[in-house]
Amino acid sequence: MSMKAQLINNKQEILEQWLEEVENKELMHYSKTISEDLIGRTNNELIDTIFIALENETGANDELQQFAEKIVNLGWPIGYITEGMQVFRSVSIKTILEKNSDANKDYFLNVMDEVNQIVDPIKTYLINQYSTNWDNIVSLQKLALEELSAPLIPVMDDITVMPLVGTIDTDRAKLIMENLLSGIVKHRTDVVLIDITGVPVVDTMVAHHIIQAAEAVRLLGATCILVGIRPEIAQTIVNLGIDLSNFPTKSSLSKGFQTALQMTDKHIISSNKDGQNLEQIMEAIEKE
Amino acid sequence: MRIPILKLHDYLLVSIQVELDDQSAMEFQEDLLKKIHNSGATGVVIDLTSVEVIDSFIAKVLGDVVSMADLMGAKVVFTGVQPAVSMTLIELGIYLKEVPTALDLEQGLIKLRQELEEK
Repeated sequence: MSMKAQLINNKQEILEQWLEEVENKELMHYSKTISEDLIGRTNNELIDTIFIALENETGANDELQQFAEKIVNLGWPIGYITEGMQVFRSVSIKTILEKNSDANKDYFLNVMDEVNQIVDPIKTYLINQYSTNWDNIVSLQKLALEELSAPLIPVMDDITVMPLVGTIDTDRAKLIMENLLSGIVKHRTDVVLIDITGVPVVDTMVAHHIIQAAEAVRLLGATCILVGIRPEIAQTIVNLGIDLSNFPTKSSLSKGFQTALQMTDKHIISSNKDGQNLEQIMEAIEKE
Repeated sequence: MRIPILKLHDYLLVSIQVELDDQSAMEFQEDLLKKIHNSGATGVVIDLTSVEVIDSFIAKVLGDVVSMADLMGAKVVFTGVQPAVSMTLIELGIYLKEVPTALDLEQGLIKLRQELEEK
């Protein structure tokens, strides 16, 4: 009788032993976050799925796939799967050896080998499902991060703002420079404000990248204003001996914006009529 | 092929539409200086919109043209530098600090007029 058939024949026994052992095992410490009822149900589902996979010749069948999807989506720890499969392996070997009391060393090795061959593909499949899912999440997050990493916001004709948040490394600096330059050409921008309020640390490397970006912007024919320089950043920049005198710097975005307005010959006129009226009245009084 | 240099009142317009090699760049330098001398132009706009590659030698030649033209009393403005070109130049450490730049031909002419008025 093949090993598979033996396992299937002794399904009930293995099942009971497995459930018992699993409950005694570490798996229960997940019960802090997951209700016992749910654990019990998932245990049943896991062992059922294993047996369905055993009975099916092709191995990775629909049930296995469904179970994997479900357990990954629910965010069950991968330790649960590995431990569950481990317990299944030991229980299976034990059960088969108990059924064949005359087992010798060769037979024992044979059983081990065959059970491994049955259990491992299922385990590998489940773990692969996990890692694929993780890979997907990581690449999605990387994409999301990249989108957030260097946005360019056109505020007015000729003026755009690029707010930078978070640490800047070489990869990000490259992305920033590319976005900045292509954005300038696209929006026909005269003045770009780079806001570094959200950059926690400005060291020589970050300053170097910013200077390079500003120089590249100048080559295109636009001007770069560095804004959002906090006191501690001003201190570090001077202490490190970094020379930022080639392009204008301002402490806040609003001050930088005013400078940008001057550079592009623009004024903001208040539409508040009251103020004007008051001035007219004052003028009239002065005349009299 | 020589790069055409167009005269517009007091200005000269140059649009570089071929990939510059070392020789054509030197020829261009010579031609432009001669033309400035002959026409007495006070301003030059060099448009680089269709230039996709600039190596360090071409950059030096172009930078030199600016200083040379300045000596002859003509102000030079570069326009339409492509983002990729700008990035390469910065990476090569060529900052072209003395060279005025503008986004496009229109802005370039405005800038030229401003610079000439300031004198």
